[in-house]
Order: sequence, then C-alpha cells, then structure tokens
Amino acid sequence: MNKRPNILFINTDQHSWNAVSAYGNPYLHTPNIDLLHRNGISFKKSYCTDPVCAAARSSWATGLYTSETGVPFNGGQLHTEIPDIGQVLKAGGYKVFHCGKWHVPGRNVRESFEALYYGGHNIDAGGAAYYDSASTHAVADFLTNYDGNEPFYLQIGYVDPHDVCEYLHNHEEKHIPNPVEQGILTEDELPPLPENFDYDDRETVLHRVCRRVDDALIHARILKAVRNWDELHWRYLRWNYYRFIEKVDAEIGRTLSLLRQTSFYDNTLIIFSADHGEACGSHQMFQKFSLYEESVKVPFIISCLGDEISIRKNRFDDMHFVSGVDLFPTICDYAGVDQPKAVQGMSLRPFAEEKDVPWRKHAYIESNYWGRAIVTDEYKYVTEYKPKMVEDFFPPGPNAEELGLAQLFDRHNDPWETENLTDTQGYQEVIKTCREKLLTQESQLNRQQIVHQGPQRIISNWGKRLREYWEHGKIK
Amino acid sequence: MDDSYPLHWSFDYNHGAQNPEFAQELIKLLHGYDTKSTTHHTDAEEDHSIKHVYQILPNFWRGYQGRNVQENTLSIGNAIIERQKRNNDIWNYNVRYQNTTSGEDLRFEFRCQDECYRPLHGSWLVDAQNSCSDTYSRLKWNGHLSSDAEVRLRLNGAEITAGAVDNSLPLTCNWALFDVIPALAEKMKESGDDVDIALLDDLEQFRPKNRLGFLDSTQSPISLDGYYLYGTGILPSYWWIDATGNIVIVSSVFETLVLTEMTGSSV
Repeated sequence: MNKRPNILFINTDQHSWNAVSAYGNPYLHTPNIDLLHRNGISFKKSYCTDPVCAAARSSWATGLYTSETGVPFNGGQLHTEIPDIGQVLKAGGYKVFHCGKWHVPGRNVRESFEALYYGGHNIDAGGAAYYDSASTHAVADFLTNYDGNEPFYLQIGYVDPHDVCEYLHNHEEKHIPNPVEQGILTEDELPPLPENFDYDDRETVLHRVCRRVDDALIHARILKAVRNWDELHWRYLRWNYYRFIEKVDAEIGRTLSLLRQTSFYDNTLIIFSADHGEACGSHQMFQKFSLYEESVKVPFIISCLGDEISIRKNRFDDMHFVSGVDLFPTICDYAGVDQPKAVQGMSLRPFAEEKDVPWRKHAYIESNYWGRAIVTDEYKYVTEYKPKMVEDFFPPGPNAEELGLAQLFDRHNDPWETENLTDTQGYQEVIKTCREKLLTQESQLNRQQIVHQGPQRIISNWGKRLREYWEHGKIK
Repeated sequence: MDDSYPLHWSFDYNHGAQNPEFAQELIKLLHGYDTKSTTHHTDAEEDHSIKHVYQILPNFWRGYQGRNVQENTLSIGNAIIERQKRNNDIWNYNVRYQNTTSGEDLRFEFRCQDECYRPLHGSWLVDAQNSCSDTYSRLKWNGHLSSDAEVRLRLNGAEITAGAVDNSLPLTCNWALFDVIPALAEKMKESGDDVDIALLDDLEQFRPKNRLGFLDSTQSPISLDGYYLYGTGILPSYWWIDATGNIVIVSSVFETLVLTEMTGSSV
C-alpha cells in the first residue's frame, strides 16, 4: 500500500454473527457479505460492547466502553468532550462522510461528518425499508462522483435487519396465524427452532427483565403477543429475520458492485460489522438487550476487493477476542492517524496482515447500565450490579460488594448457554477468577457521571423497578 | 362498507402509538375511493389509460413522522401508478412514489408486454430525488436486459449487473403487480396453485424467485380477496382485490397502501 487508503465502514443493525451464509448458516443467502469474507478476514470471537443500538454505536464512534461514553442504553447522551471518529479523521486529513443510521445521541452527525443521506426524519430505529435503498442511492451518487484529492472515510449505516423489530411490533395488537395456517409456507420451509430454545431460568435479574418475566421494562406488548405463539411462530420469526438480512445483503451488493466500477476499488479498505445481534428465539427471547451469544456476538470483517491493501483473504481468525471498541483504533491505524489516548480498543490490522501482537484474553461487555459479562475461551460469566440505594448516576463498578446474581457457562461443553453452573460444585474458583477479570477490566475504565436529565430519569425508573426485586423478590 | 371490526390480520396494523387510529384511517380512505370509483373518466377508458392513487400508511412502530408530531393523518406519502397501452401490445408505466419518511421522490418509467405476467420490455428509467438537506439530491439510472439475460443498470457512467434472469420465469417490475395479480387472481384462487415469478423491485433490485398465491377472503371493511407474495430477499406482502378487480390494499411489514383514487377501467 503506497498511499493512505479510502475506508468504507459498512454496518448493519441487529445482525447476529451466525446469520451469514459464509459462516455455515444454510437458512439464508448472503452472497455479498460472503464476498467480503472471501476477500478478507472474519473474526470468530467478535463481540459488541453493549447489545443495544445507541450504546454499541457510541463505542464505534469513540473507541470507549459504554459506561465511559455516557450512552449505556438507547436514551443516553454522548459526553460532549469525547472526540468521535469523524472529528479525528478529519483532523488527520481525511474527507469524512456519513450515510444512513448514526444513532449516537448527543452528537450531531452533521457536525462531525458530511452527511450524504440521513433520512427524512433523522434515522434511528426502524424504517429500513425506506432508508436502506435511499442510502444505497446516496452512496452510488457519491462513489460515481467523488473527485477529492484527500482519501475518504465513508460509513454506511444500514438499518436492516433491525426491521425484525417492526415484524414483532406487528404482533402486538392482533393474532397473526402461523405461516402454515396462513397457507403460504410449509413446515419444511421454516428454519428449525434454535438448539437453545429451552433455557435455564436461573438467570440474572436483568436477564429476567430482558425476557420480560414478571412484567416488562421494555416492549411488554410484544411479550404479551409472543406468549400466544406456537413453535411455528417462533420458526417464522427466524424465517423473517433471515429475509431482512437478505434484503440488506442486496443493498451491500449494489454498493460493492458500484465500488468495483470506480478507481477506488483497489485502494479501499472495507470493514463490515453490526452493532449487536438478535435473540431470534434463542432462550425464548426476541430482540437484543441480553448478554447471551446471539445478542452480543456480531460479524466483524476486514476486507479489500482489490489488491493494493495487504489483507489475508478468505480466512477466519478464531484466536483473538474482538470488541466494538477496536473499530476506532483499527480505522486510525489504516488511516495513519493518531488515536486519542483514552481509547480502550486496539487495532486489528496486525491480524489482517498475519502479524502477532499482545492481545486481550477475554471480551468485556456491558448491558442495560447494570449488566456485565466476561467471555474467555473456556467460560462466559454474566453478572449484574444491584441498583444503588442512593443513585449518583456514576455507572456502577468495580465493586464486588454490589454484584447481584450471576450465570456461568462452559463455552466448550455448552456453547448454547443452557446450563448455569454458578450453583454447581467445583466452579467457585472459576467464578472467582472471572469476577477478578471483570473488576480488573472495570478498574481500567474512565467511567463518567451521567449528567443529562433524560438518561438520569431512565436510570431512576429502571433502578426503582430492579430494587423491587432485591427488596421483595419480585419485579412489579 | 362494513366498518365493524375485526379487519383482516394482514392489514390491521393498529399499534397504540398511532394517532389517528390506523383502522379508522384505513376505512376513511377506502370510503373516499368508494365515492371516486363511481366517476371513471370515459376518455381515459378510450385510450386504455389507467391510474391508481394510493396513500401510504406506516406500519412502523416509531420514527415515521418524527417525534411529538401531531398530524391529522397517518399518511406518509403516496404512490401513483399510471399506465397506458400503446400499439396494442405494449403497456407504458409511469409510477411515482413519494415518501416523507425516506425523503425520496421516486419516478419509474418502464414498459411491459401485454401479457398477464407483464414481462419487462426494452429499457427503463428511474429518477430519484432526495428532499432531505443532505449531499445526495438526485440520482438517475437506466436499465435493460442484455442479450445474455443479465439485468444491467447504468448510472453516472458506471454499469453494474443486478442479476441473471432465468428465462423459464417471467420477469416483471413490482409496480406491474397491480395488474399482474388481478390478471392471475381467478386462476390462483380457483386452482389453489401458486405462481412463480421473477421481480425487479423498483427497477433496481433483482429478486429471482418469488411466489404468488391465494391467501384468504374477507368481508370487512368491503368484500376482498387476498393474495400473498414472498420470495428470496423479500418479506411477505398481502394484496387485496375488490369486486371490480382493483387492488385496494397492499400491506407488508412496513407499510400499507390504500387505494384512494382511480381513473380508467381495471385491466
């Protein structure tokens, strides 16, 4: 590579790692994401920082974990002093462009980037059916017209398969027959139930909240509808989810086809990832929010369709734990731009070039402000902080005394996370080690107080509901 | 018109966040069509010109009208489908699709052969304009089927292939389905058989294999026969035809089109 590359960051929304045909899923067809994989490297141990849109995206934009960004849930607000990737690359001589979904509350995307397209009502959740094709039109217009002297950074935020949420909302107020009753599909055409449809109900309080046990904090009406579902409804959810992914794959395909027709083709680095996954029936859950694999494990591909950028092709990296915080430093590394000192992530470029560097031994994930997970090669440890009696709006941690319930899964023998081992004899030392990793990781974070009233209200409201469990053993 | 509940599940999107209430809005719009459909333009009939106007109601949970916006209608835009038969065997389509959510105003021009599957004929043109205050303001592309059966799209000097057509399946545009489904409806309903069809969605996205079939009948709010469409890369949609052979409701997971105006005879 003899000049700074153009960088294209293509992201999808709510896209689980295993929902890519090149990764072995036979129930959908993603020829264009597969093309990126064949021309690059896919990370098998790739995790979001937080399984909800705005939170995960705040990490992409800053290289920080969500208890640092001010966006530990969808209603958060990015702390004003934290620089974002657009500002940093712009200062480093790049022309920076945004197209499609941004969803980092508290940061005006139009101030950090030149917006190619940002929707009629500023895109946040839903509306992929309208926004995604318009985004592709905007990118097509850009790729066939850009004549700047500077290299460009373009991030394309596709909304699908997030519209699976709209599919679920459609069930709120009415009973929709399963597709076999409708007569439009046979049972053979539906994907099977996931291996972990049945689950161990010894969960953290937050996970119970995520699955809306004893009433809900979020989207209770979907839960009400889902309680009337039969097996075919769940399988039809999965069928629909895969169609949403095929839709967005087609959008990516047109973008890649156009890139191929331009002079940027050989010198454009392409990174593909998703903000978080989708439960899609696993553990009888839907949407995201939880710390189970389907919700937190996401595709991460570094690719180049041409030959000017040295990248291993058609390879899986199954050694390194990758996090959403690594996007920012990876982009800075390829761009030759210094990253801010506070950034938590590390560049993945060495692995794309088959070099070895010291690396973390676990993934760290936050969820719903109080939830935490540590993923190692052997185990996954999920826990939560109890809501403070007097809330100070500092994201919780590190404090072993404040930890609540926990879940421990053996990743080798129970990859579907169906048996919580915390009460099983012989695992106390493992739990202790995982807990130490968690507290050590958290001691390295620059947690900042949530200062905006809106997010404070959310924390207060949620905290009140959660405290009811700890005080009365029940969420009202 | 029977305004009583329940509406058929496939077009009864009634999320509590919506104001006005979805079913009332849908029925009100259909009332408008009922009145107008009795005043067909005779001159339009003579030159085989047909026009359908649909309002677009959102099936979104949120985000379709911005936050805290009080409107007296749910409509987020409209779709106007005009076609005219020329030289006895070619239909010329002009379609306009405006949507305030996306901010895009799309115009489609294409031709189809005068067959029930409406196979695409010759070249086509799309003109997309964006009303949002962004860099992207307008994009035009044209397309054609190459001699080796590839769908080719050309824009700003670049040409891409959208897919290869299997000649065993007829290829049409999704906007021609407003004529294709009524033409095949009786056959599908009576036989119970599905029909395979290839689609070029918005003259841009090639969907090689899709299935059309009879879904159900309903009497509420008017007598309607429903048909489904699904395939690779598309979510199911439901197309409802009234007694005069017009598609009056099209519903998918993200929007519902409701017929509000028509001129000319149904095909």
